[in-house]
Amino acid sequence: MSGLQLHELSLSYGEQPILERLNLEIPEGQLVSILGASGSGKSSLLRLIAGLQEPSQGHLHWRGQPIREPSPECGVVFQDYALFPWLNMRDNISLAIRQVQPHLSSASVRRLADGHLLQVGLGSASLRYPFELSGGMQQRGAIARAFALGSPLLLLDEPFGALDPVNRARLQDVLASVWQAARSAKTVLFVTHDVDEALYLGDRVIILGSSPGRVIADLPVPFNRPRYRQTLLASGEFHALREQISDLLVADILRGLSSTRHSELSS
Amino acid sequence: MNDTSLTSTGVLGLALRPWLSRLKAQREALLLWPALLLIWQLASYFTPLGANPLVPSPVTTFHALWLSLPELWAGTLSSFGILLPGFALAVLLGVGLGLWVGSRERVGRVCLPFARVVAPIPPTVYIPYAIAILPTFLASAIFVVFIGAFWPIFQSAVAGAHSLDRRYRDNARTLGLQGLRYWRLVLLPAALPHIFSGMAVGLGFAFILLTVAELFGANVGLGRFVQYYADFADYPRMVAGIIYTGLVTFLSMSLLEQLRQRLLFWQRR
Repeated sequence: MSGLQLHELSLSYGEQPILERLNLEIPEGQLVSILGASGSGKSSLLRLIAGLQEPSQGHLHWRGQPIREPSPECGVVFQDYALFPWLNMRDNISLAIRQVQPHLSSASVRRLADGHLLQVGLGSASLRYPFELSGGMQQRGAIARAFALGSPLLLLDEPFGALDPVNRARLQDVLASVWQAARSAKTVLFVTHDVDEALYLGDRVIILGSSPGRVIADLPVPFNRPRYRQTLLASGEFHALREQISDLLVADILRGLSSTRHSELSS
Repeated sequence: MNDTSLTSTGVLGLALRPWLSRLKAQREALLLWPALLLIWQLASYFTPLGANPLVPSPVTTFHALWLSLPELWAGTLSSFGILLPGFALAVLLGVGLGLWVGSRERVGRVCLPFARVVAPIPPTVYIPYAIAILPTFLASAIFVVFIGAFWPIFQSAVAGAHSLDRRYRDNARTLGLQGLRYWRLVLLPAALPHIFSGMAVGLGFAFILLTVAELFGANVGLGRFVQYYADFADYPRMVAGIIYTGLVTFLSMSLLEQLRQRLLFWQRR
């Protein structure tokens, strides 16, 4: 069976449940947005899928194979860029290329790395170090590195969370265009707090409820591609869907608050 | 012609600018030195201290230093013949073993309790034993310098591996970096700030142990120079030796600091 399957997936830290009995099927080639309040276990879910952590219960499979440890099949872009600061941008990207194509000549690796940087608008920054670049540029570098790894499964953990609105919109477009260029070859799971971003990018929006994290809604996004921001934001369907998602998120937050108050009162 | 001279002046000015600005920033610290020398010289002229042969005046001391330069230079070469192999071995083994012990939980569980017991033993106590069991003075002096520098470097490398940022570890794992590539591209560079702190402490210890070891059995060397003239009550040469040794130590530490700044350029934010 192809794609990503999560079966009765649970995670807890000691007594504290983080994720509870998640069941999901994500076919290959989909771009899935994952939304949820803070503490809903979004990042933990990505760590499990990346093989960086083991679940307390349940199973994960990618292309029919169980996920037990990180592999080149799965690229990850973390929230805080996490490029290696002692390597320049080209070397950061080359690192990923050499992992998957160890026999390439240095000149070819360099050419490929520069191509990936060009793709995310960093053509002129290949010899610069991460600390010399803005947060937006670093994040584009991290995305370029994940693309350079060429993984069929790509996990992005709030990659644009710390960016200003202009850079955020720009990077959303970069991600959408790069994903579309490799459509059937790349499955993307994109964690975000931003409802508009989730709808603009996703084929599908999965909403995680909090305390513990579980799927409270799995909604298809019916907009055709390529999507145009202005047109989308002006459409009634977009607004209705945004309203529906916002209501679900607010209801979950209120439920969390009332259960906290209830447990405080009873103790 | 005029243009050329203007250009060379400009280039020279540009080249000197960082040096001059650093000098400007440290002018108060630099003024302390002539001030102390002046106080020392005046004290030797106008106080009973000047009559005491144990406290030679700056002029006498620097004259002795000038006369002793060939001997001190030979002593420096001999001392570095002990210091460099001992320190290099300490860096090599301290960093290698420290990163290994610090990055493997099981190895750390076995080795760190032993290190906690052995590391605090004052390295000077090894000197008589090293001289007794090793065949030559050179071998025992190198061993003592090695022991003095090894533990601070080892401990800092362990700390560097322990404090490896989870982001870098996760990134390395998702990229599939393993073995030597992981060590070379992730673990070692990430631990370098800690390692350099340990190397600075280790180098300080290495100099202390070098001069102490030379007191025991060397015929030549910086520590030997000071001890030799102290035995003959030639205090101008003895003080000159102390000043010279201080200068050599300072220059060595400065070189290490330059190397640190060069390799840790990525910490400039």
